[in-house]
Amino acid sequence: MSVLHIAEVTKTFSAGAKAVDSFSLDVADGELVCLLGPSGSGKSTLLRMVGGFEQPTSGSITIDGEDVTHLPPERRPTGMVFQSHALWTHMNVFKNLAFGLKLRRMPAAEIRDKVEAVLDLVGLAGYGDRMTTQLSGGQQQRVALARSLVLEPKILLLDEPFASLDQHLRERLREEVRDIQQRLGITTLFVTHGQDEALSMADRIVVMANGKTEQIDRPDVVYRDPKTPFVAGFIGSMNLIDGEVRNGYFMRSDLTVQLQVPDGPATLAIRPESLDVTASDTPKASVHRVTDYGSHGLVDLDLADGTRLKSMVAHPDLFRAGQGVDVFPRAIAAYRDNQQIYRS
Amino acid sequence: MSEATKQAVRPLVDTAESRRPIGLLFVAIPVFLVIWLVIWPAINAISRTVWRKDKSGEMGFDLSSYAFFFSDSYSLDNLSITLWTTLVCAILLLMICLPIALYLRFSRGRLAAYVQALAIFPMFVPSIILAFAFIRVLGPNGMVDILFNAVDLPKIRTPYLTPWGPVIGLVWDNIPLTVLILLAGLGSVANQSIEAARDVGANAVQVFWHIILPRISNSILVALSFSVLGIFSSFTLPYLLGPASPEMLGPFMQRTLREVQDPVGAMTQAVIAFGFCIVFGLFYVRSVARSREK
Ligand SMILES: Nc1ncnc2c1ncn2[C@@H]1O[C@H](COP(=O)(O)OP(=O)(O)OP(=O)(O)O)[C@@H](O)[C@H]1O
Ligand SMILES: [Mg+2]
Repeated sequence: MSVLHIAEVTKTFSAGAKAVDSFSLDVADGELVCLLGPSGSGKSTLLRMVGGFEQPTSGSITIDGEDVTHLPPERRPTGMVFQSHALWTHMNVFKNLAFGLKLRRMPAAEIRDKVEAVLDLVGLAGYGDRMTTQLSGGQQQRVALARSLVLEPKILLLDEPFASLDQHLRERLREEVRDIQQRLGITTLFVTHGQDEALSMADRIVVMANGKTEQIDRPDVVYRDPKTPFVAGFIGSMNLIDGEVRNGYFMRSDLTVQLQVPDGPATLAIRPESLDVTASDTPKASVHRVTDYGSHGLVDLDLADGTRLKSMVAHPDLFRAGQGVDVFPRAIAAYRDNQQIYRS
Repeated sequence: MSEATKQAVRPLVDTAESRRPIGLLFVAIPVFLVIWLVIWPAINAISRTVWRKDKSGEMGFDLSSYAFFFSDSYSLDNLSITLWTTLVCAILLLMICLPIALYLRFSRGRLAAYVQALAIFPMFVPSIILAFAFIRVLGPNGMVDILFNAVDLPKIRTPYLTPWGPVIGLVWDNIPLTVLILLAGLGSVANQSIEAARDVGANAVQVFWHIILPRISNSILVALSFSVLGIFSSFTLPYLLGPASPEMLGPFMQRTLREVQDPVGAMTQAVIAFGFCIVFGLFYVRSVARSREK
């Protein structure tokens, strides 16, 4: 039973700008929450504040009701997996894992049992005698994970642990980590700027931009119902079109879409899979390029004023570059002043 | 094959063959210089101390100069004061430079920049100026003496002309190089590996002992070897600041050669100093090799 409570945490570095800006989050017991955001959005800074490597300028961090805001990392019940270069290369795998237990003055026999159990858990049974430099990148990150897990932390923190690995390995480790996390039921905060990673692993996703929360929701909700234009544009592929609403219609170039909101500027969001295209004699857009992915196709369209749209189609062979087409949005959302004002 | 094709082919063959001697030439120059300036004089000195004219004027194998050195209590005192100075300097250097290097590695900002500049500064001060500054400040009737006198404190026992004189000077002189080498070593310790250690529960001392020290042991060795070799055969500072007797090997050699006019004796001392330096050197090479194996 471990819950993490982050309340109104702000971090200002000496440079002046706020890296994290009054951020609040509750992570439930056994939950895996992903912090997702573009580079520089303050994800690492937030995670490092939870781990104790940075001091918040204001706000508080509580683990299981205990205020840890001002505790140094060595006295926090958190375990952190770093992006890379964090294994101690002068020790072998066993010693890397045993180090924390030795500091806790655990008997040698018990240490050996624990280390072997956790090596087994991460799929590295029998690797104890290897030097860390003799391991592949994926194995090294597994050792780093095991090193945190062996201490049975209340909160597991991972800062882009797979960033230096290739795509294939990343996908496999992602699944493994998720399995282990669920088996142990360990409360986890995971930083990534890969949306695939977040969508496939997380119980909930926190989308961050400029140190602030944009949206906190389940992955499917974040994808289907982004609450701000930033989230809409950041997660998945999205057509974001700025235009004007007049008399119940959104207008941009030749594109008009019925939109029952008060008059004024608005941003229309349409997923490529929700934008249908058909050949037309009275075209509103022209085909710029057709890409065939086998299972589906992607059609790039230009409105008369040059606005580029993407549409996912089942039969890309029906379209060719230069062709005039009509477009029909099926599901739309609209944003004004950074807030959702309409959703169909 | 016609004459024309031969001509066309020849440059290819030529360059391949002419390149090899040029490459060898490049290697040959430093090798030649080392042989001419280091190895030859060393062999020459060694041979001239063991292959000498005896009393009857005949050339022969003769170890008497070494026998004299190792039975003469004055020579042995000089050797032991040299070893003592070197050892004390090495310990002091480590005790002073390691904290400085650690501070520089782990702190940012203006103060660290000033400390770094200050630590490197002695490198630009010639030993002679350093020696005279030392005498002015710590010597008899120096600045410290005058200050103490002004507030009615007893006279200090100045380290000038005691074995501590050269120690202070040599340590000061060797701080920059030692700090720089240690700093380079500390640069290879990744921040994340230190943070990971704190994360699993290590406090500052444990991080230093278990994570940082093993990673920089090699740099410590390099730094100490460099300064030990320099200190062991140093001349200026012990000459200007040290006691007249016993004296370090540097000034001892100089005096044996110039004042006592005993070139064989001086050369014997040089060969013995050379021997000690080689032992230090071998020790260093062996430790480096062993840490490579790991
Ligand atoms: N030690 C520091 N000193 C000053 N500014 C910092 C420091 N660490 C981070 N910042 C600033 O804080 C902001 C957030 O940085 P942070 O590392 O948290 O971003 P991030 O979301 O983890 O990005 P990335 O995806 O690239 O890792 C950035 O603008 C960065 O320049
Ligand atoms: Mg980061």
